[in-house]
Amino acid sequence: MSLAKQLNILDYALQGLWRRRLKTGGIVIIFSAVIFLAASFQFTIKALNNLVDQDLQATPEIIIQKMSAGRQESIPLDYIKKLKGIWGIRRVVPRIWGYYFDATTKANYTVIGLNYKKMPMGGLLDKALIKGSLLPGSGEALVGTGVKEALRLPAKGAMLSLFRPDYSLKALKVSGEFMPSTDILTTDTILMNLADSRDLFGIKPGLVTDLCVYVANPREVTTIARKIAARLPDTRVVPKSQIKETYREVFGWRGGFASICLLTAIAAFIIFAWDKASGMNPDEKREVAILKVIGWQTADILGLRFYEGFIVSFMSFLLGCSLAYAHVSFMGAGLFRPILTGWSVIHPEMVLRPGLEFSDIFLIFSLVVPPYMAATIVPAWRSAIIPPDAAVN
Amino acid sequence: MLIECKRITKTYRSDNKLLKAVDGASFTADKGDFVVILGHSGSGKTTLLSLVGGLTRPDEGEVLIHNTSNWQQSDQALSVMRNKTIGFIFQFASLIPSLNVLENMALPLCFGHHQHDCTALAYKLLEEIGLADKAKAFPGQLSGGQQRRVAIARAFMNKPEIILADEPTGDLDEETENDILAMFRRYNEQGCTFLVVTHNNELGVSQNNPRTLRMRQGVLHA
Ligand SMILES: Nc1ncnc2c1ncn2[C@@H]1O[C@H](COP(=O)(O)OP(=O)(O)OP(=O)(O)O)[C@@H](O)[C@H]1O
Ligand SMILES: [Mg+2]
Repeated sequence: MSLAKQLNILDYALQGLWRRRLKTGGIVIIFSAVIFLAASFQFTIKALNNLVDQDLQATPEIIIQKMSAGRQESIPLDYIKKLKGIWGIRRVVPRIWGYYFDATTKANYTVIGLNYKKMPMGGLLDKALIKGSLLPGSGEALVGTGVKEALRLPAKGAMLSLFRPDYSLKALKVSGEFMPSTDILTTDTILMNLADSRDLFGIKPGLVTDLCVYVANPREVTTIARKIAARLPDTRVVPKSQIKETYREVFGWRGGFASICLLTAIAAFIIFAWDKASGMNPDEKREVAILKVIGWQTADILGLRFYEGFIVSFMSFLLGCSLAYAHVSFMGAGLFRPILTGWSVIHPEMVLRPGLEFSDIFLIFSLVVPPYMAATIVPAWRSAIIPPDAAVN
Repeated sequence: MLIECKRITKTYRSDNKLLKAVDGASFTADKGDFVVILGHSGSGKTTLLSLVGGLTRPDEGEVLIHNTSNWQQSDQALSVMRNKTIGFIFQFASLIPSLNVLENMALPLCFGHHQHDCTALAYKLLEEIGLADKAKAFPGQLSGGQQRRVAIARAFMNKPEIILADEPTGDLDEETENDILAMFRRYNEQGCTFLVVTHNNELGVSQNNPRTLRMRQGVLHA
C-alpha cells in the first residue's frame, strides 16, 4: 500500500465527511458532549486530589489517637513523653479536633484547637489566610468561608458565640479567615488555640483529642508510625497518606459512580452510532459499488471507513477534552461540583487546577477512540464487502 | 488473447427458482476488436459484461484477461485489473451524486496520479463529449443524457485497453449517439477493445470491423 494511495483515501474520507457535514457535525457534537462530561469528571477528580495534596502539605505526617473499646477517646499529654527517643520525630504537637453542631444553621463545623506557635510549619498557616488575618490569640478564632457565610459573620472582629456542653456561651472574636482556595479542607473550620478549644468542648486539663507528629524525613513515616504504635499500644496511629486515601476514596467513590453513568452514556451513543452506520442507505451502497468497479478494493473501502471513524472520534475527543479542561479550570467544574463536594454541609468555593496529565488524556482517548472504532467496525466491514456488481443493475 | 471467456455460467436464485442468467457462454476478443452483443431484455447481457469485467464471479467456467483468470487472483490484483485495464460504462446512472462532474471523472485516477494531470485529462474528455462547461455541475443538475455522457467519458479516464459498455447510447438522441459512436471508433482505431451491449441492430454499422454476438436466454450465439 503506497503512501500516495493512503493519502488519496484519506482525502476522499475528508471530502466525504465534509459533504455530509450536517450528519458528521451532529455526531461530533453529541459525541464530544459525552466526552466532555466524562473528561470533566476525570479532570475534576484529579484537581480535587491535587488540591488535597497541596492543602495537606502543612499538616502533620502522623496523627495519634487514643482508642478504647474500639472508639476514640481523649489522649493524655503524658503520652508525648513516651515518644522520647524515637529517632526521626521532629516534634509532637497536641491538638483538639472536634465537631460542633450548630442547631440554628443545622451545620456541623470542624473545630480545631492548636498550639500553632509550637508547630514546625506554623508559618505556612499564614499563607492559607486572607490578607489582614491574624493567627488567633486567646479568645480569638479563625473561620473558613463556609462558616462565615453560614453564620453571616460581618467581618474581621465580629463575635462568634458557641455553646459549651453545659449550654453556657463562649464568645470568640474572629481574627481572620481562611482563603477560599483552601476551602476543600477549611470551609467548615473554626480554628482557635488549644486552651479555648479545651474550654469550648469541656475537655479536662492534660487531655487532648490527638497528637500530631511531625517527621523530619517523609520517607521514614511508615517506620516511625510502626515504632509509635509499638510504644503506645492503646492508640491508633494514622499516617498522612491514609488521610489522603480517605479523601481520595470519597472523591473516587462519587467519581466512580458518575463514571459508570457516563460510560453507559458512551456505550449508548456508540450503539446509536453503530445502528446509524449499519442502516446503509442505497446511495451509500451504490457509491461503494461504483468505487469498486472503478478499482477500489475491499481493503480500500475498509480504510476509508477507518479514516472516517478515526477523524470523527478524534475530533470529538479533542473538542470534548478541551471543553472539559476549560470547564474545570476556568469555570470550577460548575456543572458537577454539587455531586463531587456535596459531602460537606457547606459547599466549598475552591479553585480547581487540573494538571494536564498524559495518563488522563490517554485514558480518555482509549475510552473514546478505540471503542468507537470497534463499534463501527462491523458496519464498516459490511460496507466494504458490498460486491461491485451491486452498481450494475 | 486479450479476453477469453470459457463456458461461463451464472445462476441467480429468486423466489426459490434458479435462473441461468448466463449459460455456458464462450467467446474471445483480441486487441482492437469491436464486439457488439445483441439480445432481448433479460437475456443476460448485463450479467455477461459484469462477468467479463470481474465484477461478478461466475458459478462455472472462467474469464481470462491477458491470460490471467479473473477470480484466481487476489482481491488486490483484481481491483488493479479493473482500475487499469477496464473502463466500465453502466446501463444506468452511475455517477456519485454528491461529487461534481470533475470529481466523478477523477475517481478512477484517484490512486497515484497528480491532481493536475487528472484535471487536464478530464477536461479533454469532457471536450470530446461536448460537456466541458458542466465540469463543476453536480449529477443532479444534468439531464439523463448528459449524465450518461459523463459516465462514458469517465470510462476513458484510465486509458483502458478494454471498454465494457452497457447500452451506452440507450437514452441519447441520434446526433449525440453518432458523436459517441464516432468517439468509440477513434479509440477503437487506436487499439482499444470494445464490448458493447445494445438493442440497436444498427450500432455496429458505425464501426470499422464489428463482430456481432447474439444472446438468447443466457446463451451466446455467434
Ligand atoms: N442480482 C440478481 N439477482 C437475481 N436475478 C438477477 C440479478 N441480476 C440479473 N438477474 C436476472 O438475470 C436475468 C438477466 O439479467 P440481465 O440484467 O443480465 O439482463 P439484460 O440482458 O441486461 O436485460 P436488459 O436489456 O433489460 O438490461 C434477468 O432475468 C434478471 O432478472
Ligand atoms: Mg442490462
